[in-house]
Amino acid sequence: MKQTQGVFFAGYVTIKVSGHHPELFFDLCARKGIMVWSIKKVSKTECTGNIKLKDISDVKALRRKTIYKIAFRNKKGLPFFTNKLLYRKPLIIGLVLSLLFVTYLSNMVWSVNVKGVNSEIQKKIENQLDEYGIQPGALKFNIGSPGEIQQKLLNDIPELLWVGVTEKGTTYHLEGVEKTIVEEGEKLSPRNLVAKKEGVIVEYYISKGQPMIKINDVVKKGDLLVSGELGKSQEEEDKEEDKKGTKKQLVAAEGEIIAKTWYKSNVTIPLETNYEVLTGDNKKKYYLRFGDFMVPVWGFKSPEYKEIQLEASDRSVNFFKWELPISFVKQTIHEKEKVKEKRTKDEAKAAAIKQAKKELQQKLGKDAEITFGKVLQESMESGKVKLTLSFDVLEDIAKSQPIVQGD
Amino acid sequence: MKKWHQRIGNWLSQNLELPSDVVLELPRITTIGQLHAYIENHRGLLLFTDNELRLNMEYGYLKITGKNFVLRMMLPEEILLEGTISEIVFIESDD
Repeated sequence: MKQTQGVFFAGYVTIKVSGHHPELFFDLCARKGIMVWSIKKVSKTECTGNIKLKDISDVKALRRKTIYKIAFRNKKGLPFFTNKLLYRKPLIIGLVLSLLFVTYLSNMVWSVNVKGVNSEIQKKIENQLDEYGIQPGALKFNIGSPGEIQQKLLNDIPELLWVGVTEKGTTYHLEGVEKTIVEEGEKLSPRNLVAKKEGVIVEYYISKGQPMIKINDVVKKGDLLVSGELGKSQEEEDKEEDKKGTKKQLVAAEGEIIAKTWYKSNVTIPLETNYEVLTGDNKKKYYLRFGDFMVPVWGFKSPEYKEIQLEASDRSVNFFKWELPISFVKQTIHEKEKVKEKRTKDEAKAAAIKQAKKELQQKLGKDAEITFGKVLQESMESGKVKLTLSFDVLEDIAKSQPIVQGD
Repeated sequence: MKKWHQRIGNWLSQNLELPSDVVLELPRITTIGQLHAYIENHRGLLLFTDNELRLNMEYGYLKITGKNFVLRMMLPEEILLEGTISEIVFIESDD
């Protein structure tokens, strides 16, 4: 019976042979190596049997040498089935369209839920999401990954402390935590302001407390700048006269003490630098990826860039809840340029000062005002300039120190 | 002449343990109850109706009778018969 296996896929035909002793025709077929099966004798002069689709021409050729007559009856098997199906084009088109439609719907954003924040911020988040194109009806391919959305939201809505974005099928769940602005406690414990570092006082603004310094005073680290003990100086003055005089009043000293401070920094800068910049020219390409195989969908031409930088985002296509092994790839090709720069010693020095200043600014915060002092040391070493620089900085050197009430 | 040929074949199959259907060119018939008959090594179909099958053999012919006969499969020298088999008769040719 093995021979008749797989016959469905190849297709087969039932033939009716009529003539005198029709079974002998099948015997002839079998002798010629044509497979025949399910032979039935219908009447004395008629016989039916099955032959493979591919043997039809051989059977026809064989019949020509005989006096039998052949009629083709049933056509069965996959080839006939598909033929029949292809004949019904609207059916096929409908099937394909419905599959595409389901795939399309499966890759659409259906709803966006925002939780955990008050309605004002929720509205803000929703507006922001609209701006990014994340709204019911949007295709998921154009939307970045949850991590990217998270980052963008945090940057654009300063009130948010944290936001979690999870993508669950066709729904985006957002959970936010807003920043609660804690009002500074009215009642601060009594404190002094002391110097954070060495410097010369340039200016001071004191809102509370008693200044212990004057402009152009040189202070060392830890020196008392503003005292939280009001009436102290009077007390000191009156010390001799009345020991049990005015009572000390403790307040939380507050103020800004701007002092001139000095910083030293070492920088090394090469005379020759290589770096890469993006020229701003870019090209986008879209692909459908099946496993390792990429099918370009849009953007067929490769740009004629000498140096490129690739950026690709990959979004898999869903069908209902299943992830298909197909993904939508968006590739951006940026043009890159290598820049080789040679600097003279003076240029290198200027660059070094700029760099050191930037580093210092980062360390001290944006309130500090940095002015370049002078070059303390300078040396050349294997194509690099080594500099020791000094900077003058105007900054707030006040640091609070609680007053410990011993008695 | 034929007898002599047959005698050598008999001797070969008995003493050298060669399968007799191959040596003597005889049909091998396998039946499963009354349901199937699988005939190998025949020499052509002579007659087929829904209650009789006649096959040519080297010496004479084979007659199978029964009911509702269908040839399930037909290959050169092999036939699978399906139906209700009632009789298998060997008919030797006269010469």
